[in-house]
This record gives sequence, structure tokens and C-alpha cells, in this order.
Amino acid sequence: MAGETIEAGKNTTPPKGETRCPGAPTTQEIIARDKVPAPAWVRSESYEFMGDQDIPTDRYIDPAYARKEFDTLWKKTWQFACREEHIPEVGDYYVYDIGPYSFIITRVAQNEIRAHYNACLHRGTKLRASGTVGNAEEFRCSFHGWCWNVDGSHKSTTCHWDFPHVDPKKFTLPQARVERLAGFVFINMDQAAPSLAEYLGPEALAHIQAWKLEDRYVYLHVSKRLPANWKLVIEAFMEAYHVIETHPQVAVSNGDANSQYDVYGDHVDRFISTLGVLSPHLYGKHTEQDILNQFTLGDSGALGSVQRTLSGGATAREVMAQMFRGMFEKATNTDLSKVSDSELLDCFSYTVFPNTFLFPGISLPMVYRFRPDRFDHRKCLYEVLFLRPVPLDGQRPAPAEPIELRDDQSFTEAAGMDQGFGVILDQDTDNLRLQQEGIEASAKRGLTLGNYQEIRVRHFERTVDQYLGQKS
Amino acid sequence: MADSFHRVLSAAEVPPGTKKAVQVGDRCILICNSNQRLYAISNICTHAEKPLERGRMSATWIACPTHGARFDLATGKALNPPAVKPIATYEVRVVDEWIEVLIKEVAT
Repeated sequence: MAGETIEAGKNTTPPKGETRCPGAPTTQEIIARDKVPAPAWVRSESYEFMGDQDIPTDRYIDPAYARKEFDTLWKKTWQFACREEHIPEVGDYYVYDIGPYSFIITRVAQNEIRAHYNACLHRGTKLRASGTVGNAEEFRCSFHGWCWNVDGSHKSTTCHWDFPHVDPKKFTLPQARVERLAGFVFINMDQAAPSLAEYLGPEALAHIQAWKLEDRYVYLHVSKRLPANWKLVIEAFMEAYHVIETHPQVAVSNGDANSQYDVYGDHVDRFISTLGVLSPHLYGKHTEQDILNQFTLGDSGALGSVQRTLSGGATAREVMAQMFRGMFEKATNTDLSKVSDSELLDCFSYTVFPNTFLFPGISLPMVYRFRPDRFDHRKCLYEVLFLRPVPLDGQRPAPAEPIELRDDQSFTEAAGMDQGFGVILDQDTDNLRLQQEGIEASAKRGLTLGNYQEIRVRHFERTVDQYLGQKS
Repeated sequence: MADSFHRVLSAAEVPPGTKKAVQVGDRCILICNSNQRLYAISNICTHAEKPLERGRMSATWIACPTHGARFDLATGKALNPPAVKPIATYEVRVVDEWIEVLIKEVAT
């Protein structure tokens, strides 16, 4: 059983990292039994053992470490800046900040997006305030009126006669690199960085391309500052190992201890956590009807009230897949007939290093973004964006306005947030506060990780080490 | 003079998702049709007194095209720098397919 842990004294120890939850079907075995079969990107595994040393904890508590991250990691990695739908028209812009850096992500032509460094080349004033969106016919500095075209070329210098040393050709706004994928606009400050495709690697790139997330739109966007270092916050979302203790209400309908974990190159990892099945921790304690009753949705608003009744010996997972397919199709005016049961039900959590999570499923259709608070390494700005398929009539709704929660608010207070999902996020938030403080208080200066269920944490920190120039 | 509604445009002149500036006395007012609702706001940004009429409009705000200040369509509140002060908002109604704006006369 998953909860029985002491294995000491055995003579035949399997190689490290190869043990899986005893007495439970694997994720692949659960999915293989589904009626509408899953695509290849679901039905594959890519685990790799990466050692079992502790993760040193100075990275979570040392302000100097956070400053070094801004100088190294954040300047060299591909980051999700905005969705294309945030800037649909030429001249539309979205200001993306990471730490002290700020970029005006601008659609400069119908099919071209640039990321201008957000600072006037005269005396440095930001050309647009952080956290804003809008449309510009030119970027005019609010201080002295120096002006740039939306493509970044210099347009005019106020009192040009006083600046004979300013060559307009050399005063184009500096730019970060931009690449687009699946409706997401990614930027990278490092001109020598690999392309986004190389960065993701061929297998992860193929997964992302298969999801067609460009055909979805943001229907809910909620942000809140969380009380822990950004890496701790990210790691809290990388495993289902914590479900039984932190989210016991979810475990009844979640294959937590038998979730699947995969890594792809240096920058992508994932888990698949099946839903509509009982946690191995709870075998023998619940019925299939209990499983059906406890199912939590990220997008319950699409369903309305659900009749949760089992009959004819069907499993909860079968019933939910059938029911959700029809209800999501109706609610979102989309065709889901070819979408597998697994894609409809399960939680697919992909990390694109350093700070973006993509969930390509239908019932849990989120994107997460995590950014360090530039003034406090013990705080992290967390955003969750829920995506829905663009309706069949082709009318793409405008992306939702962000709802910015205060630090002391519950996620359940955000209008449109599923209450069950909001409770889950509140439970995670409470842990994070205690974890940040506990790491600072601890006599033990390292985190000890499980070889399988916490491989994404190790994988993530290994890549952090690579960007920080540290041996891992 | 008493507060009074002023007929400014026919409703058909401001289809959904568009906006149009009108002059009422010495006031330059922007009629906005956003998110299935009409708004009447001052067309002049409180930051540098530039017109808002060419700015991007969402369901809830309009952004000044010159320096990027945004204002809440319903309340006029300034949402981000470089503006701090709100813009004026006006009560608006449709009567017989005409858009009418309430102008409150200030006692002198």
C-alpha cells in the first residue's frame, strides 16, 4: 500500500528510482483501460534517476542568491510574457516585468511581435507603466517627449538641435528575442540563447504542438502574491505526493501515489495524475460512488450542476468521461468527440523552465506563471490562467481581465474561481508560508527528495544550478 | 440652469466595441460602447490632457494612446501611472434610439 513506507532490511533492493507505488495500477495501465484512447504524447514515459543528494536550502533563503538569479537565470531563459490574444491588433502592447527588467511586448505588424526594453534612451524613464496593456501609434516618453515608432525605430527627439550626438539610426529601442508557440509569446534576453524549439527539445515541443493551445482563450485570470520563495512555490505544484496530506478532499478521486513523472531534456518535465480513480492510500475505504461525488474541476463553471449518479456497474472514471465530454461540448460550443477520456479527465502538469506550467487537459485547463517579487525573495507572484476552447463559431472572446487578490484574500474570493479549486490553492498557500519559515528555522540545511514522485523538483533544481553556474 | 440630458448621437453611430467623441458645450465627451453597455466619459486624459478617443478599450477600461494611462469606464478612476486623477464620467441613456448624456450644471 502506498502509505506503508518502511522497507528497510530487504536484501534485493531494486535500482534507485525504479520502485513504483506497490499494489496500485500505473498511470499508463489506468489510461489503457479508457474507452476513447489517449494520444501518443499521453502514452509514453520518460523518467530518469538523477541522484538522491539533498538540495541545499540557501537558494530559498539567501537574498544574494535571488540577486544572482536575476543576473543569470532570468536573463538567459525563455519566459512566457503574454498570450497573443492579449495583443491582437498592430500597436497593441503588454508590459511584461521580471524582477527589475521590463519589456513592452508589441505587435508591430500583423504577424510580428517585438519585445522592447521598457526604458527611454534619453534619461531612462519607463515608456509604459509596469503591469499595463494598451495600444500605441508611437511610444512617447512622458518626461521629455522623445518618441519611438511601434517597431522600436527612433521617431523624434524633442529639441533635436541640442542633441547633435544622437544618431536616430543608433537609437532604436533594444529588444529581447521573441518566439511564439501555441498562442504564447515567449521572450529571452539572451541573444545567444538556443531557439525556443531547441530549448524545449523535440519531444516536449511535439507534445505542446499537439495540444493546439492556440485555439483556446483565457476565460479567467487570477493573481496573488504567495508567501514563499518562487522556487518553493513552483515545487509545491510539481508533485501529487502532497495530495493525501494537504488536499485530502481530492485524494478520494485522484490517483496520487501512482501518478506518473517524466523529464525531457533540461527545461521541461511533467506529471500525469489520473482523476476519477481512488488514491492508493485509500484503497478499500471508498466506493466508486464516493469517487464520482468528490471529483474536483478547474472549470466547473462550464458544467453547471452535475448529476453524479452511477449505474450498471460502470466505474466513476467511465461515467465522468462520458458525462464531461457531452457537457463541455455543450457549454463551450466545441467538438470534443476525438478527445480521449484521459485528456478530458486527468491532470497533465508540464513545466517549461523556469516559471511556466501548462495544463493541456480539459477539466483542469490552466496555465501557471510564477515570478519572484523583485523586492522580497520570500515572496512570489503567482498567476493562474484558465483556458477554454475557442467556440466553434470562431468568435474568439477577449481574454479575461486579471483579478488581483490581496495577500490576505482567499482564492475562493476571485469571481469565477471554482470554489473547490480555490480551496486547494489556499491549502497550498498555507503550507508555503510554513515551509519558507521552517527552512529558515531548520537545523538541517537540505531538502530530502523522493526518487520518483519528487523527480521534477530535482530536475528543476538541477537546471537552476546550471544557470547559476553551480555544480549539481 | 438645471441638470439636463443632452442628445448627442444616434445609437447606431456607436456600434458595439467602438467609441465616438462629441462636444457638449465646453465638454469633450467620449461615448463608449463596451461589453454590451454604453459609457460616457471625459475624452481628455488627466495626465497630459491628450484625447483618449484613439485609445484601446477593453470591457472595463480605456488606455490613453499617448502615454498609456488607463481609466475605468464606469467610475473614471485612474488605474495606472502616469495618471493619478480620475476622468469625469456622465450618466448616459438611450431614448428613441438617441444617446443622451446627463450634464450637471455647476452652481456659480
